[in-house]
Amino acid sequence: MALWGIPRLEERNERLQDQGPSRSLAEALCVGNSLLLPWDRFSAWLHCICVVGFDLELGQAVEVLYPPHSKLTDKEKTNICYLSFPDSNAGCLGDTQFCFRFRQSSGRKVSLHCLMDQFDKDLPVYLKKDPAYYYGYVYFRQVRDKTLKRGYFQKSLVMISKLPYIKFFQTVLKKIAPEYFEKSDPCLEAACSDIDRWPAPCPGTMLNLPIMGVVIKVRIPTCHDKPGTTTQLIETTPQTDAHISISLPTIHEVDLFRCFSPVFLHIQMLWELVLLGEPLVVMAPTPSESSETVLALVSCISPLKYCSDFRPYFTIHDTEFKEYTTRTQAPPPVILGVTNPFFAKTLQHWPHIIRIGDIKLAGEVPKQVKVKKLKNLKTLDSKPGVYSSYKPFLNRDEEIIKQLHKGVQQKRPSEAQNAILRRHFLELTQSFIIPLERYVASLMPLQKSISPWKSPPQLKSFSQDEFMKTLEKTGPQLTSRLKGDWIGLYRQFLKSSNFDGWFRTRWKEMTQKLEALHLEALCDEDLLVWIQKHTEVEAVDLVLKLKNKLMWAIAEHLPVKPDTVARLQMHIDSIISALPEDLQGILLKTDTA
Amino acid sequence: MALRELKVCLLGDTGVGKSSIVWRFVEDSFDPNINPTIGASFMTKTVQYQNELHKFLIWDTAGQERFRALAPMYYRGSAAAIIVYDITKEETFSTLKNWVKELRQHGPPNIVVAIAGNKCDLNDVREVLEKDAKDYADSIHAIFVETSAKNAININELFIEISRRIPSTDANLTSAGKGFKLRRQPSATKRSCC
Repeated sequence: MALWGIPRLEERNERLQDQGPSRSLAEALCVGNSLLLPWDRFSAWLHCICVVGFDLELGQAVEVLYPPHSKLTDKEKTNICYLSFPDSNAGCLGDTQFCFRFRQSSGRKVSLHCLMDQFDKDLPVYLKKDPAYYYGYVYFRQVRDKTLKRGYFQKSLVMISKLPYIKFFQTVLKKIAPEYFEKSDPCLEAACSDIDRWPAPCPGTMLNLPIMGVVIKVRIPTCHDKPGTTTQLIETTPQTDAHISISLPTIHEVDLFRCFSPVFLHIQMLWELVLLGEPLVVMAPTPSESSETVLALVSCISPLKYCSDFRPYFTIHDTEFKEYTTRTQAPPPVILGVTNPFFAKTLQHWPHIIRIGDIKLAGEVPKQVKVKKLKNLKTLDSKPGVYSSYKPFLNRDEEIIKQLHKGVQQKRPSEAQNAILRRHFLELTQSFIIPLERYVASLMPLQKSISPWKSPPQLKSFSQDEFMKTLEKTGPQLTSRLKGDWIGLYRQFLKSSNFDGWFRTRWKEMTQKLEALHLEALCDEDLLVWIQKHTEVEAVDLVLKLKNKLMWAIAEHLPVKPDTVARLQMHIDSIISALPEDLQGILLKTDTA
Repeated sequence: MALRELKVCLLGDTGVGKSSIVWRFVEDSFDPNINPTIGASFMTKTVQYQNELHKFLIWDTAGQERFRALAPMYYRGSAAAIIVYDITKEETFSTLKNWVKELRQHGPPNIVVAIAGNKCDLNDVREVLEKDAKDYADSIHAIFVETSAKNAININELFIEISRRIPSTDANLTSAGKGFKLRRQPSATKRSCC
């Protein structure tokens, strides 16, 4: 099979250096220039594409791997093999799509992805890449084939990526996989070649991504978007022909309403369980239902990021199976999606279990209201529902239930129902988080306390009591009509990994803001006057410090005013030129670390 | 001004110059050592035609035999197909006829077919007579031009003629549901070559 040559990294690095040291791979990808080697653009989107088949003697095995030089450890391969096939006896005849998530093996070499962090910084926090995990997007086909020994054709086309863009990759796979199963390798070659010409996954721009004869149009959201505004596509032509182009309204969102419809009356409770990072397992008949439901759960607290581990589809062969199912410790704070009936027994001790039957199309909402007692969850034959002894902190929002019920009766389109539910969750999450945002913002020192000649002032530390005091006047009651024990909910949330993750991000942002303000204050000083009053040693010391700050500001993308970096560089240059010549030579060469 | 997206595919034997034609049209450049296409490559160019903007979504397919089975993905939904042959290679003209048959059987019903006899700068080693090709094209109501991607001959004209033959949106509206019949059009204004 004729393919491109394997990228020669050294060659590329040389070429990058020719263009000056400040050029990054991400920039090269953005401007689309000739520095790129084959597979560079591909790697910005995907780690690899593999075909997993079934061998009568070996079981599942990776049959084809693109690009041929892509690296997967044996452990990763084993995980991919098991996770790419249905694990239950549900059959899955025909074509099935689902998604899984697995841990990257440790000790693996840093991949090119890390050079792309520039894109990551503009992404909303819940879409940022997790360095420790990969997503696997699967298109599985199982059809009767008498010519085969096993009697069935069973194969999966799997895309492995760090990007959590489920809707997008589902769409792409739906284009590629059916063609591949019929036309084999040249088809994958063509698809990879298409992907290797795609523009970089740059947030905020309208991307046109040609694949197998159609153009997929999509926009990756940015952290500057107003939450809840779904992408407004600029439709230039009223085009409906899916053979020409496909406009995706979202790159990552799953249909919340459809996923939650089997357990619809408990959405309030599910939101709390996810918010608090409670151990949660979804038992579903097929991998597509388990994976969509887990992803729906994780996204229902958006724009908050769900910070613990979650596995849209988890099997008994998973590397973490023992770790997650052990009875010697309390269940881990993770969300698992499973299909194998074996888990009904293995995870019987878990505090919260969501059991879904077949997801029905909108129009049927189950009638049962009660949360079931856990002891009623026996094994295989248990009915759909939520099994938990959890008492929600907040009262149920009857309004939203009524509104959605009415929608079902009036046969409102699923997209509209989904939008209503998503908005409900968004408003709820925002009502919950705004008081925290407001309190944390008050931990920032006053601007007047920043002095260029002292280190930046410290942020005040977070005090739970002080925060709770603010709730009386400026609590969630300002924006939410929901009644209940908000205080209790906050208390519990402050102990969760979701709070921890959120707070770390805020803390880092505020520290950077302080650094940036400090840097700007320094720039406003007349440094030449300062060095006249100080010794040469102090001047040299200042130059070294400034150089360090400058490098850090660039590397960390400090939120400084646009001209600050250039001004700082000018300051450094003018101080150096005011020093004796021998020193100048040394200082110009010194790169500090 | 209304913008219309028009899917256009290029078909034809390997090495006849499909990619070179697209490069000339989109980038106005020519590279004699272009690599064989894998699968298909995609480019766009927007041109004004009367009171419309036509954005050509051009799928330049691989001519190599192993990619042959992928062709339907590219002509599916196409408003026009440009079938290219090399005037210096008789057998590429036979291949072209097979493409025409395939489009007849499986292509979109109203697809505009254009035939481009490329490499007309190599008149000395010509194997396909212009008249034969023209007669064939007329018999199937296809656009016909001889082109040279290398010397930029008739490349823009080819796409202008495609714009002209594509039913306008108004016509689409009035004839919606009835199926659209192609009118006979005066043939493309050609620059004589060589």
